Amino acid sequence: MKNMLAMIVMLSGLTLASQAQDLPISQIMIEGESWELIAEGYQFTEGPAVNAEGEIYFTDVPASKIYKVSLDGEVSLFSDQANKTAGLMFGADGMLYGTSIGGKAIVKFDKQGTPTAIAEGVDCNDLVVLADGNVFFTDHVNGKVWNVSPKRELKEVAAEIAFPNGLIAWPDQKQLVVADMRGKHLWNFVIAADGSLKHKQPYSTMQLPVGKTESGADGMAVDQIGRLYVCTELGVQVFDTQGRLSGTLSKPQQAFLSNVTFGGTEMNYLYATSQDKVFRRKLNTTGIRYTK
Amino acid sequence: MKLLNRSTLLMPVILLLSIAGLACGQSAYEYGPNSQRQEGVPQGKVSQYRWENSNVFPGTERDYWIYVPAQYDASKPTCVMVFNDGGGYVRDNGHSRVPIVFDNLIHQGKMPVTIGVFVNPGVIPAEQSGGKPRRNRSFEYDSLGDLYARFLIEELLPEVGKQYNLTDKAEGRAICGLSSGGICAFTAAWERPQYFSKVVSYIGSFTNIRGGHVYPAVIRKTEKKPIRVFLQEGNTDLDNLFGNWPLANEQMAAALKYAGYDYQFVMGTEGHSGRHGGTILPEILEWLWRDHPNNPAASK
Repeated sequence: MKNMLAMIVMLSGLTLASQAQDLPISQIMIEGESWELIAEGYQFTEGPAVNAEGEIYFTDVPASKIYKVSLDGEVSLFSDQANKTAGLMFGADGMLYGTSIGGKAIVKFDKQGTPTAIAEGVDCNDLVVLADGNVFFTDHVNGKVWNVSPKRELKEVAAEIAFPNGLIAWPDQKQLVVADMRGKHLWNFVIAADGSLKHKQPYSTMQLPVGKTESGADGMAVDQIGRLYVCTELGVQVFDTQGRLSGTLSKPQQAFLSNVTFGGTEMNYLYATSQDKVFRRKLNTTGIRYTK
Repeated sequence: MKLLNRSTLLMPVILLLSIAGLACGQSAYEYGPNSQRQEGVPQGKVSQYRWENSNVFPGTERDYWIYVPAQYDASKPTCVMVFNDGGGYVRDNGHSRVPIVFDNLIHQGKMPVTIGVFVNPGVIPAEQSGGKPRRNRSFEYDSLGDLYARFLIEELLPEVGKQYNLTDKAEGRAICGLSSGGICAFTAAWERPQYFSKVVSYIGSFTNIRGGHVYPAVIRKTEKKPIRVFLQEGNTDLDNLFGNWPLANEQMAAALKYAGYDYQFVMGTEGHSGRHGGTILPEILEWLWRDHPNNPAASK
Protein backbone atom coordinates (compact mmCIF):
# COMPACT_ATOMS: atom_id res chain seq x y z
CA MET A 1 0.00 0.00 0.00
CA LYS A 2 2.81 2.32 0.97
CA ASN A 3 4.55 1.48 -2.28
CA MET A 4 1.39 2.06 -4.26
CA LEU A 5 1.07 5.46 -2.63
CA ALA A 6 4.69 6.26 -3.42
CA MET A 7 4.08 5.24 -6.99
CA ILE A 8 1.02 7.48 -7.26
CA VAL A 9 2.98 10.40 -5.81
CA MET A 10 5.81 9.67 -8.23
CA LEU A 11 3.42 9.43 -11.17
CA SER A 12 1.66 12.66 -10.32
CA GLY A 13 5.06 14.30 -9.92
CA LEU A 14 6.04 13.14 -13.37
CA THR A 15 2.78 14.38 -14.82
CA LEU A 16 3.24 17.76 -13.17
CA ALA A 17 6.79 18.02 -14.43
CA SER A 18 5.71 17.38 -17.98
CA GLN A 19 2.73 19.73 -17.67
CA ALA A 20 5.07 22.47 -16.52
CA GLN A 21 6.48 22.50 -20.05
CA ASP A 22 3.05 22.78 -21.60
CA LEU A 23 1.48 26.19 -21.87
CA PRO A 24 -2.13 25.79 -22.96
CA ILE A 25 -3.92 29.09 -23.55
CA SER A 26 -6.30 28.16 -20.74
CA GLN A 27 -3.46 29.27 -18.44
CA ILE A 28 -3.63 32.85 -19.71
CA MET A 29 -7.37 33.26 -20.21
CA ILE A 30 -9.55 34.58 -17.40
CA GLU A 31 -13.10 33.38 -16.91
CA GLY A 32 -15.54 36.09 -17.98
CA GLU A 33 -12.88 38.27 -19.61
CA SER A 34 -13.01 38.94 -23.32
CA TRP A 35 -12.18 41.71 -25.78
CA GLU A 36 -13.52 45.14 -24.80
CA LEU A 37 -13.72 48.11 -27.15
CA ILE A 38 -11.32 50.93 -26.28
CA ALA A 39 -11.51 53.29 -29.25
CA GLU A 40 -13.19 53.42 -32.66
CA GLY A 41 -13.80 55.56 -35.72
CA TYR A 42 -10.38 55.32 -37.36
CA GLN A 43 -9.34 54.27 -40.86
CA PHE A 44 -6.67 51.65 -40.15
CA THR A 45 -5.25 51.24 -36.66
CA GLU A 46 -1.77 49.82 -36.10
CA GLY A 47 1.35 49.85 -33.95
CA PRO A 48 0.08 49.69 -30.35
CA ALA A 49 2.98 50.64 -28.07
CA VAL A 50 3.25 50.91 -24.30
CA ASN A 51 5.16 53.60 -22.41
CA ALA A 52 6.74 53.34 -18.96
CA GLU A 53 3.43 54.21 -17.27
CA GLY A 54 1.49 51.52 -19.10
CA GLU A 55 -0.34 53.95 -21.42
CA ILE A 56 -0.98 52.86 -24.99
CA TYR A 57 -0.13 54.73 -28.16
CA PHE A 58 -1.46 53.65 -31.55
CA THR A 59 -1.46 55.01 -35.09
CA ASP A 60 -4.15 55.55 -37.66
CA VAL A 61 -1.90 54.85 -40.64
CA PRO A 62 -3.77 56.50 -43.58
CA ALA A 63 -4.56 59.57 -41.44
CA SER A 64 -0.91 59.89 -40.37
CA LYS A 65 -1.97 60.42 -36.77
CA ILE A 66 -0.80 58.89 -33.52
CA TYR A 67 -3.12 58.70 -30.52
CA LYS A 68 -2.57 58.08 -26.87
CA VAL A 69 -4.92 56.09 -24.62
CA SER A 70 -4.53 57.16 -20.99
CA LEU A 71 -4.84 54.73 -18.10
CA ASP A 72 -8.45 55.80 -17.59
CA GLY A 73 -9.25 55.17 -21.26
CA GLU A 74 -9.16 58.76 -22.50
CA VAL A 75 -8.02 59.01 -26.13
CA SER A 76 -6.02 62.09 -27.19
CA LEU A 77 -4.00 63.09 -30.25
CA PHE A 78 -0.22 62.72 -29.76
CA SER A 79 1.03 63.55 -33.25
CA ASP A 80 -0.42 64.57 -36.58
CA GLN A 81 2.96 64.36 -38.30
CA ALA A 82 3.16 60.59 -38.46
CA ASN A 83 3.54 60.40 -42.26
CA LYS A 84 1.95 56.96 -42.45
CA THR A 85 3.78 55.48 -39.51
CA ALA A 86 2.75 51.84 -39.05
CA GLY A 87 4.93 50.29 -36.34
CA LEU A 88 5.57 51.92 -32.97
CA MET A 89 7.59 51.03 -29.89
CA PHE A 90 8.98 52.94 -26.94
CA GLY A 91 12.71 52.68 -26.36
CA ALA A 92 14.35 52.28 -22.96
CA ASP A 93 15.11 56.02 -23.31
CA GLY A 94 11.38 56.72 -22.94
CA MET A 95 11.07 57.97 -26.52
CA LEU A 96 8.61 56.70 -29.11
CA TYR A 97 10.11 55.16 -32.27
CA GLY A 98 8.21 54.40 -35.45
CA THR A 99 8.36 53.17 -39.02
CA SER A 100 7.25 55.93 -41.36
CA ILE A 101 6.13 54.28 -44.57
CA GLY A 102 5.31 57.66 -46.13
CA GLY A 103 8.66 59.17 -45.15
CA LYS A 104 10.58 55.97 -45.88
CA ALA A 105 12.29 56.47 -42.56
CA ILE A 106 12.74 55.10 -39.07
CA VAL A 107 11.80 57.97 -36.81
CA LYS A 108 11.99 59.01 -33.19
CA PHE A 109 9.24 61.27 -31.84
CA ASP A 110 9.94 63.94 -29.28
CA LYS A 111 7.48 64.59 -26.46
CA GLN A 112 5.55 67.03 -28.66
CA GLY A 113 5.05 64.37 -31.35
CA THR A 114 7.58 65.76 -33.82
CA PRO A 115 9.52 63.05 -35.65
CA THR A 116 13.24 63.00 -36.44
CA ALA A 117 14.68 60.35 -38.76
CA ILE A 118 17.28 57.95 -37.39
CA ALA A 119 17.45 56.05 -40.71
CA GLU A 120 16.30 57.29 -44.08
CA GLY A 121 15.52 55.97 -47.54
CA VAL A 122 14.18 52.67 -46.27
CA ASP A 123 11.14 50.54 -46.95
CA CYS A 124 9.75 49.64 -43.56
CA ASN A 125 6.83 48.02 -41.83
CA ASP A 126 7.26 47.24 -38.13
CA LEU A 127 10.06 47.60 -35.59
CA VAL A 128 11.46 46.64 -32.21
CA VAL A 129 13.70 48.82 -30.07
CA LEU A 130 15.99 46.98 -27.68
CA ALA A 131 17.25 48.40 -24.41
CA ASP A 132 20.80 48.70 -25.79
CA GLY A 133 19.50 51.05 -28.52
CA ASN A 134 19.55 48.54 -31.37
CA VAL A 135 16.52 48.90 -33.63
CA PHE A 136 15.36 46.10 -35.93
CA PHE A 137 12.75 46.69 -38.58
CA THR A 138 11.04 44.64 -41.27
CA ASP A 139 11.08 45.59 -44.94
CA HIS A 140 8.26 43.71 -46.63
CA VAL A 141 9.01 45.30 -50.00
CA ASN A 142 12.36 43.54 -50.27
CA GLY A 143 11.71 40.64 -47.91
CA LYS A 144 14.41 41.83 -45.52
CA VAL A 145 15.14 42.75 -41.92
CA TRP A 146 17.38 45.70 -41.10
CA ASN A 147 19.29 46.87 -38.07
CA VAL A 148 19.84 50.47 -37.00
CA SER A 149 22.69 50.40 -34.51
CA PRO A 150 22.85 52.68 -31.45
CA LYS A 151 25.28 54.76 -33.56
CA ARG A 152 22.57 54.92 -36.24
CA GLU A 153 24.38 52.79 -38.77
CA LEU A 154 22.00 50.95 -41.06
CA LYS A 155 22.64 47.39 -42.19
CA GLU A 156 20.71 44.54 -43.74
CA VAL A 157 20.63 41.62 -41.30
CA ALA A 158 18.22 39.11 -42.88
CA ALA A 159 16.72 38.41 -46.29
CA GLU A 160 14.60 35.92 -48.19
CA ILE A 161 11.44 36.05 -46.13
CA ALA A 162 8.38 36.29 -48.36
CA PHE A 163 6.67 39.11 -46.42
CA PRO A 164 8.40 39.95 -43.13
CA ASN A 165 5.83 41.82 -41.10
CA GLY A 166 5.60 41.75 -37.29
CA LEU A 167 8.70 41.13 -35.22
CA ILE A 168 9.56 40.86 -31.54
CA ALA A 169 12.51 39.92 -29.34
CA TRP A 170 12.56 37.29 -26.60
CA PRO A 171 12.44 38.71 -23.06
CA ASP A 172 16.24 38.30 -22.86
CA GLN A 173 16.56 40.45 -26.05
CA LYS A 174 19.10 38.01 -27.49
CA GLN A 175 16.76 36.37 -29.99
CA LEU A 176 14.59 37.97 -32.68
CA VAL A 177 11.41 36.45 -34.13
CA VAL A 178 9.97 37.62 -37.46
CA ALA A 179 6.49 36.72 -38.73
CA ASP A 180 6.01 35.91 -42.41
CA MET A 181 2.63 37.20 -43.55
CA ARG A 182 2.72 35.31 -46.86
CA GLY A 183 4.10 32.11 -45.38
CA LYS A 184 3.39 29.91 -42.40
CA HIS A 185 6.52 30.37 -40.32
CA LEU A 186 7.87 32.49 -37.54
CA TRP A 187 11.58 32.87 -38.24
CA ASN A 188 13.93 32.88 -35.27
CA PHE A 189 17.35 34.54 -35.26
CA VAL A 190 20.11 34.75 -32.68
CA ILE A 191 21.10 38.41 -32.17
CA ALA A 192 24.86 38.94 -32.18
CA ALA A 193 26.51 41.73 -30.20
CA ASP A 194 27.05 43.82 -33.37
CA GLY A 195 23.35 43.67 -34.24
CA SER A 196 23.74 41.06 -36.95
CA LEU A 197 21.42 38.05 -36.99
CA LYS A 198 22.48 34.40 -37.01
CA HIS A 199 21.00 30.94 -37.27
CA LYS A 200 17.77 31.73 -39.12
CA GLN A 201 15.25 28.98 -38.44
CA PRO A 202 11.53 28.42 -39.10
CA TYR A 203 11.19 27.62 -35.41
CA SER A 204 7.40 27.91 -35.25
CA THR A 205 4.70 27.00 -37.72
CA MET A 206 1.45 28.93 -37.65
CA GLN A 207 -1.94 27.43 -38.24
CA LEU A 208 -3.36 28.46 -41.61
CA PRO A 209 -6.98 29.09 -42.54
CA VAL A 210 -8.45 26.08 -44.35
CA GLY A 211 -7.57 26.18 -48.03
CA LYS A 212 -4.95 28.92 -47.68
CA THR A 213 -1.17 28.98 -47.81
CA GLU A 214 -0.70 32.35 -46.15
CA SER A 215 -0.91 33.04 -42.43
CA GLY A 216 -1.73 36.72 -42.74
CA ALA A 217 0.67 37.20 -39.81
CA ASP A 218 1.24 40.74 -38.63
CA GLY A 219 2.18 42.30 -35.30
CA MET A 220 3.63 40.39 -32.37
CA ALA A 221 3.99 40.66 -28.60
CA VAL A 222 5.87 38.67 -25.96
CA ASP A 223 5.05 38.03 -22.31
CA GLN A 224 7.14 37.62 -19.18
CA ILE A 225 7.87 33.94 -19.69
CA GLY A 226 8.50 34.21 -23.41
CA ARG A 227 5.17 33.23 -24.94
CA LEU A 228 4.76 34.82 -28.36
CA TYR A 229 1.48 36.42 -29.49
CA VAL A 230 1.06 36.69 -33.26
CA CYS A 231 -1.80 38.42 -35.07
CA THR A 232 -3.00 36.16 -37.88
CA GLU A 233 -6.05 35.70 -40.02
CA LEU A 234 -7.30 33.03 -37.59
CA GLY A 235 -6.76 35.12 -34.47
CA VAL A 236 -3.94 35.71 -31.99
CA GLN A 237 -1.82 32.57 -32.23
CA VAL A 238 0.13 31.94 -29.03
CA PHE A 239 3.42 30.00 -29.08
CA ASP A 240 5.37 28.55 -26.18
CA THR A 241 9.08 28.95 -25.55
CA GLN A 242 9.88 25.82 -27.55
CA GLY A 243 8.15 27.26 -30.59
CA ARG A 244 5.06 25.09 -30.27
CA LEU A 245 1.57 26.45 -30.91
CA SER A 246 -0.27 26.77 -27.59
CA GLY A 247 -3.54 27.87 -29.12
CA THR A 248 -5.40 30.73 -30.75
CA LEU A 249 -7.30 33.58 -29.11
CA SER A 250 -10.26 34.66 -31.20
CA LYS A 251 -10.12 37.97 -33.04
CA PRO A 252 -11.88 40.95 -31.44
CA GLN A 253 -13.93 41.48 -34.61
CA GLN A 254 -14.30 39.96 -38.07
CA ALA A 255 -11.80 42.32 -39.62
CA PHE A 256 -8.08 42.50 -40.22
CA LEU A 257 -6.11 42.15 -36.98
CA SER A 258 -2.93 44.20 -37.34
CA ASN A 259 -1.06 44.19 -34.04
CA VAL A 260 -0.99 43.51 -30.30
CA THR A 261 0.93 44.75 -27.28
CA PHE A 262 0.70 44.42 -23.52
CA GLY A 263 -0.22 47.52 -21.54
CA GLY A 264 -1.83 48.91 -18.41
CA THR A 265 -0.15 49.62 -15.08
CA GLU A 266 0.19 45.91 -14.40
CA MET A 267 1.02 45.13 -18.06
CA ASN A 268 -1.68 42.47 -17.98
CA TYR A 269 -3.93 43.79 -20.75
CA LEU A 270 -3.39 42.71 -24.35
CA TYR A 271 -4.23 45.64 -26.61
CA ALA A 272 -5.18 44.90 -30.20
CA THR A 273 -5.53 47.13 -33.25
CA SER A 274 -8.05 45.98 -35.83
CA GLN A 275 -9.08 48.10 -38.79
CA ASP A 276 -11.24 50.93 -37.38
CA LYS A 277 -11.00 49.96 -33.70
CA VAL A 278 -8.73 49.33 -30.72
CA PHE A 279 -9.59 46.61 -28.22
CA ARG A 280 -8.08 45.12 -25.10
CA ARG A 281 -8.53 42.03 -22.97
CA LYS A 282 -7.21 41.10 -19.56
CA LEU A 283 -4.97 38.07 -19.45
CA ASN A 284 -3.52 35.99 -16.67
CA THR A 285 0.03 36.95 -17.64
CA THR A 286 2.08 40.11 -17.98
CA GLY A 287 3.95 41.64 -20.87
CA ILE A 288 7.42 43.10 -20.73
CA ARG A 289 9.26 46.25 -21.72
CA TYR A 290 12.83 45.85 -22.89
CA THR A 291 15.03 47.21 -20.14
CA LYS A 292 18.71 46.78 -19.38
CA MET B 1 1.20 -15.59 -39.82
CA LYS B 2 4.44 -16.25 -38.06
CA LEU B 3 4.68 -12.58 -37.07
CA LEU B 4 1.19 -12.54 -35.66
CA ASN B 5 2.00 -15.54 -33.53
CA ARG B 6 5.02 -13.75 -32.19
CA SER B 7 2.89 -10.75 -31.26
CA THR B 8 0.35 -12.78 -29.40
CA LEU B 9 3.10 -14.64 -27.57
CA LEU B 10 4.88 -11.57 -26.30
CA MET B 11 1.85 -9.78 -24.84
CA PRO B 12 0.92 -12.31 -22.13
CA VAL B 13 4.57 -12.60 -21.08
CA ILE B 14 4.79 -8.86 -20.55
CA LEU B 15 1.43 -8.76 -18.76
CA LEU B 16 2.43 -11.64 -16.52
CA LEU B 17 5.70 -9.93 -15.63
CA SER B 18 3.75 -6.78 -14.76
CA ILE B 19 1.25 -8.57 -12.56
CA ALA B 20 4.06 -10.50 -10.85
CA GLY B 21 5.79 -7.23 -10.11
CA LEU B 22 2.66 -5.69 -8.61
CA ALA B 23 1.95 -8.78 -6.48
CA CYS B 24 5.41 -8.46 -4.94
CA GLY B 25 4.44 -4.97 -3.80
CA GLN B 26 6.92 -3.41 -6.20
CA SER B 27 6.62 -0.95 -9.05
CA ALA B 28 4.65 -2.39 -11.94
CA TYR B 29 7.79 -2.61 -14.03
CA GLU B 30 11.03 -3.98 -12.66
CA TYR B 31 14.29 -4.56 -14.47
CA GLY B 32 15.02 -8.17 -15.33
CA PRO B 33 18.41 -9.90 -15.40
CA ASN B 34 19.11 -8.75 -18.97
CA SER B 35 18.97 -5.15 -17.74
CA GLN B 36 21.56 -5.82 -15.07
CA ARG B 37 25.28 -6.41 -15.22
CA GLN B 38 26.02 -10.13 -15.33
CA GLU B 39 29.32 -11.66 -14.39
CA GLY B 40 31.36 -12.97 -17.28
CA VAL B 41 29.57 -10.86 -19.89
CA PRO B 42 32.03 -8.81 -21.94
CA GLN B 43 31.34 -5.10 -21.68
CA GLY B 44 31.21 -2.79 -24.66
CA LYS B 45 32.80 0.65 -24.62
CA VAL B 46 30.93 3.95 -24.53
CA SER B 47 32.62 7.15 -25.71
CA GLN B 48 31.20 10.66 -25.66
CA TYR B 49 31.41 13.15 -28.53
CA ARG B 50 30.09 16.55 -29.48
CA TRP B 51 28.59 17.65 -32.81
CA GLU B 52 28.73 21.37 -33.53
CA ASN B 53 28.71 21.75 -37.30
CA SER B 54 25.31 20.65 -38.53
CA ASN B 55 24.17 22.02 -41.87
CA VAL B 56 20.70 20.52 -41.52
CA PHE B 57 20.15 22.27 -38.17
CA PRO B 58 22.45 25.31 -38.46
CA GLY B 59 23.89 26.65 -35.24
CA THR B 60 23.00 23.59 -33.16
CA GLU B 61 25.34 21.91 -30.72
CA ARG B 62 24.74 18.52 -29.12
CA ASP B 63 26.36 15.65 -27.28
CA TYR B 64 26.33 12.13 -28.62
CA TRP B 65 27.73 8.82 -27.48
CA ILE B 66 28.87 5.72 -29.34
CA TYR B 67 28.58 2.27 -27.77
CA VAL B 68 30.84 -0.36 -29.35
CA PRO B 69 30.21 -3.94 -28.25
CA ALA B 70 33.17 -6.05 -27.14
CA GLN B 71 32.37 -8.46 -29.99
CA TYR B 72 32.71 -5.74 -32.65
CA ASP B 73 34.83 -6.89 -35.58
CA ALA B 74 36.04 -4.07 -37.81
CA SER B 75 36.17 -6.37 -40.80
CA LYS B 76 32.42 -7.00 -40.70
CA PRO B 77 29.66 -4.52 -41.62
CA THR B 78 27.90 -3.98 -38.30
CA CYS B 79 24.31 -3.18 -37.36
CA VAL B 80 23.58 0.23 -35.86
CA MET B 81 20.79 1.49 -33.62
CA VAL B 82 20.15 5.20 -32.99
CA PHE B 83 18.62 6.45 -29.73
CA ASN B 84 17.05 9.91 -29.61
CA ASP B 85 17.46 11.80 -26.32
CA GLY B 86 20.51 9.55 -26.20
CA GLY B 87 21.81 10.85 -22.88
CA GLY B 88 18.89 9.16 -21.10
CA TYR B 89 19.32 5.83 -22.89
CA VAL B 90 23.08 5.47 -22.55
CA ARG B 91 23.34 5.72 -18.78
CA ASP B 92 23.80 2.47 -16.84
CA ASN B 93 21.29 3.77 -14.30
CA GLY B 94 18.94 5.39 -16.84
CA HIS B 95 15.46 4.25 -17.82
CA SER B 96 16.73 1.78 -20.43
CA ARG B 97 20.36 0.91 -19.55
CA VAL B 98 21.03 0.20 -23.20
CA PRO B 99 24.75 -0.66 -22.97
CA ILE B 100 24.00 -3.29 -20.29
CA VAL B 101 21.09 -4.73 -22.28
CA PHE B 102 23.16 -4.80 -25.49
CA ASP B 103 26.08 -6.49 -23.67
CA ASN B 104 23.79 -9.21 -22.32
CA LEU B 105 21.78 -9.87 -25.47
CA ILE B 106 24.77 -9.83 -27.81
CA HIS B 107 26.62 -12.20 -25.45
CA GLN B 108 23.64 -14.55 -25.41
CA GLY B 109 23.31 -14.40 -29.18
CA LYS B 110 19.83 -12.90 -28.98
CA MET B 111 20.60 -9.89 -31.16
CA PRO B 112 23.27 -9.10 -33.71
CA VAL B 113 26.47 -7.29 -32.78
CA THR B 114 25.17 -3.71 -32.89
CA ILE B 115 26.75 -0.31 -32.46
CA GLY B 116 24.63 2.12 -30.45
CA VAL B 117 24.54 5.83 -31.34
CA PHE B 118 22.93 7.96 -28.62
CA VAL B 119 22.09 11.48 -29.76
CA ASN B 120 20.83 14.40 -27.76
CA PRO B 121 18.64 17.06 -29.36
CA GLY B 122 20.38 20.22 -30.46
CA VAL B 123 20.62 23.53 -28.69
CA ILE B 124 21.40 26.85 -30.38
CA PRO B 125 23.32 28.90 -27.84
CA ALA B 126 22.81 32.66 -27.55
CA GLU B 127 25.61 34.78 -28.99
CA GLN B 128 25.59 37.28 -26.14
CA SER B 129 25.98 36.67 -22.43
CA GLY B 130 22.74 36.44 -20.49
CA GLY B 131 20.83 35.06 -23.49
CA LYS B 132 18.79 31.91 -23.33
CA PRO B 133 19.64 29.10 -25.73
CA ARG B 134 17.09 28.15 -28.39
CA ARG B 135 16.13 24.59 -27.50
CA ASN B 136 15.75 22.64 -30.71
CA ARG B 137 14.25 19.42 -29.37
CA SER B 138 10.65 20.08 -30.35
CA PHE B 139 11.65 21.45 -33.76
CA GLU B 140 13.84 18.42 -34.51
CA TYR B 141 11.63 15.72 -32.98
CA ASP B 142 8.02 16.87 -33.38
CA SER B 143 8.24 18.29 -36.91
CA LEU B 144 7.10 16.03 -39.71
CA GLY B 145 9.34 15.78 -42.74
CA ASP B 146 12.82 14.53 -43.51
CA LEU B 147 15.08 17.01 -41.71
CA TYR B 148 15.96 14.76 -38.79
CA ALA B 149 16.46 11.72 -41.04
CA ARG B 150 18.77 13.82 -43.19
CA PHE B 151 20.69 15.00 -40.14
CA LEU B 152 21.38 11.37 -39.21
CA ILE B 153 21.93 10.01 -42.72
CA GLU B 154 23.95 12.88 -44.17
CA GLU B 155 25.81 14.11 -41.12
CA LEU B 156 26.00 12.08 -37.95
CA LEU B 157 26.08 8.45 -39.10
CA PRO B 158 28.70 9.14 -41.80
CA GLU B 159 30.82 10.64 -39.01
CA VAL B 160 30.35 7.45 -36.93
CA GLY B 161 31.06 5.46 -40.09
CA LYS B 162 34.52 7.02 -40.35
CA GLN B 163 35.48 5.17 -37.18
CA TYR B 164 33.38 2.03 -37.42
CA ASN B 165 32.32 -0.36 -40.12
CA LEU B 166 28.57 0.24 -40.28
CA THR B 167 26.23 -1.84 -42.42
CA ASP B 168 24.86 -0.25 -45.58
CA LYS B 169 21.62 -2.21 -45.38
CA ALA B 170 18.33 -0.93 -43.97
CA GLU B 171 17.69 -4.27 -42.26
CA GLY B 172 20.69 -3.53 -40.05
CA ARG B 173 19.56 -0.05 -38.98
CA ALA B 174 17.12 0.72 -36.17
CA ILE B 175 16.01 3.90 -34.40
CA CYS B 176 14.44 4.34 -30.98
CA GLY B 177 13.08 7.19 -28.89
CA LEU B 178 10.56 8.18 -26.26
CA SER B 179 7.86 10.85 -26.20
CA SER B 180 8.77 13.37 -28.94
CA GLY B 181 11.84 11.22 -29.59
CA GLY B 182 9.45 8.34 -30.26
CA ILE B 183 7.50 10.07 -33.02
CA CYS B 184 10.85 11.33 -34.31
CA ALA B 185 12.12 7.74 -34.61
CA PHE B 186 9.00 6.83 -36.58
CA THR B 187 9.29 9.93 -38.77
CA ALA B 188 12.93 9.16 -39.62
CA ALA B 189 11.99 5.65 -40.81
CA TRP B 190 8.78 6.82 -42.48
CA GLU B 191 10.74 9.40 -44.50
CA ARG B 192 13.69 7.07 -45.23
CA PRO B 193 12.44 3.48 -45.07
CA GLN B 194 15.24 2.44 -47.41
CA TYR B 195 17.61 3.54 -44.65
CA PHE B 196 15.90 2.71 -41.32
CA SER B 197 13.83 -0.47 -41.19
CA LYS B 198 13.21 -0.78 -37.47
CA VAL B 199 11.48 1.63 -35.07
CA VAL B 200 10.96 1.55 -31.32
CA SER B 201 8.78 4.18 -29.65
CA TYR B 202 8.01 4.49 -25.95
CA ILE B 203 5.13 6.83 -25.05
CA GLY B 204 5.40 8.32 -28.54
CA SER B 205 3.99 11.80 -29.08
CA PHE B 206 1.74 10.97 -32.03
CA THR B 207 -0.23 14.06 -31.06
CA ASN B 208 -0.60 17.57 -32.41
CA ILE B 209 2.57 19.15 -31.08
CA ARG B 210 3.62 19.96 -34.62
CA GLY B 211 1.12 17.99 -36.66
CA GLY B 212 2.10 14.40 -35.82
CA HIS B 213 -1.49 13.43 -35.02
CA VAL B 214 -2.07 12.87 -38.74
CA TYR B 215 0.07 9.73 -38.93
CA PRO B 216 -2.68 7.15 -38.31
CA ALA B 217 -4.71 8.62 -41.17
CA VAL B 218 -1.68 8.88 -43.44
CA ILE B 219 -0.48 5.33 -42.68
CA ARG B 220 -3.87 3.93 -43.72
CA LYS B 221 -3.76 5.66 -47.10
CA THR B 222 -0.09 5.14 -47.97
CA GLU B 223 1.39 2.08 -49.65
CA LYS B 224 2.97 0.00 -46.90
CA LYS B 225 6.59 0.83 -46.21
CA PRO B 226 9.18 -1.78 -45.18
CA ILE B 227 9.28 -0.68 -41.54
CA ARG B 228 8.92 -2.78 -38.40
CA VAL B 229 7.48 -0.83 -35.47
CA PHE B 230 7.32 -1.43 -31.72
CA LEU B 231 5.03 0.93 -29.78
CA GLN B 232 4.91 1.06 -25.98
CA GLU B 233 2.32 3.26 -24.25
CA GLY B 234 0.80 3.70 -20.79
CA ASN B 235 -2.88 4.15 -20.02
CA THR B 236 -2.16 6.97 -17.55
CA ASP B 237 -0.07 8.91 -20.07
CA LEU B 238 -0.63 12.57 -20.96
CA ASP B 239 -3.91 14.15 -21.97
CA ASN B 240 -3.22 17.80 -22.75
CA LEU B 241 -3.47 20.57 -25.34
CA PHE B 242 -1.54 18.48 -27.85
CA GLY B 243 -3.75 15.43 -27.55
CA ASN B 244 -4.33 12.22 -25.64
CA TRP B 245 -1.26 9.98 -25.74
CA PRO B 246 -2.95 6.63 -25.04
CA LEU B 247 -5.63 7.27 -27.68
CA ALA B 248 -3.04 8.50 -30.17
CA ASN B 249 -0.95 5.35 -29.72
CA GLU B 250 -4.06 3.17 -30.00
CA GLN B 251 -4.78 4.93 -33.29
CA MET B 252 -1.22 4.33 -34.46
CA ALA B 253 -1.44 0.65 -33.59
CA ALA B 254 -4.80 0.29 -35.31
CA ALA B 255 -3.50 2.03 -38.42
CA LEU B 256 -0.36 -0.15 -38.53
CA LYS B 257 -2.55 -3.21 -38.17
CA TYR B 258 -4.95 -2.03 -40.87
CA ALA B 259 -2.11 -1.32 -43.28
CA GLY B 260 -0.53 -4.71 -42.63
CA TYR B 261 2.61 -3.64 -40.83
CA ASP B 262 4.91 -5.88 -38.81
CA TYR B 263 4.27 -4.17 -35.49
CA GLN B 264 3.85 -4.68 -31.75
CA PHE B 265 1.81 -2.55 -29.40
CA VAL B 266 2.04 -2.82 -25.62
CA MET B 267 -0.26 -0.74 -23.44
CA GLY B 268 0.91 -0.60 -19.82
CA THR B 269 -0.04 1.39 -16.78
CA GLU B 270 2.78 3.93 -16.54
CA GLY B 271 2.38 7.63 -17.20
CA HIS B 272 4.73 9.73 -19.27
CA SER B 273 7.94 7.95 -18.34
CA GLY B 274 10.51 5.64 -19.88
CA ARG B 275 10.20 3.07 -17.11
CA HIS B 276 7.93 0.52 -18.75
CA GLY B 277 9.64 0.74 -22.12
CA GLY B 278 13.01 0.55 -20.42
CA THR B 279 12.20 -2.58 -18.43
CA ILE B 280 10.94 -4.47 -21.49
CA LEU B 281 13.73 -3.28 -23.77
CA PRO B 282 15.41 -6.73 -23.82
CA GLU B 283 12.17 -8.31 -25.12
CA ILE B 284 11.67 -5.45 -27.56
CA LEU B 285 15.17 -5.90 -28.99
CA GLU B 286 14.77 -9.67 -29.33
CA TRP B 287 11.57 -9.09 -31.30
CA LEU B 288 13.04 -6.25 -33.35
CA TRP B 289 16.18 -8.12 -34.45
CA ARG B 290 14.66 -11.62 -34.49
CA ASP B 291 15.33 -12.40 -38.15
CA HIS B 292 18.46 -10.39 -38.89
CA PRO B 293 21.09 -12.57 -40.64
CA ASN B 294 23.75 -11.52 -38.10
CA ASN B 295 21.57 -12.58 -35.19
CA PRO B 296 22.63 -16.02 -33.94
CA ALA B 297 19.10 -16.56 -32.60
CA ALA B 298 17.69 -16.08 -36.10
CA SER B 299 19.48 -19.09 -37.51
CA LYS B 300 18.36 -21.43 -34.72
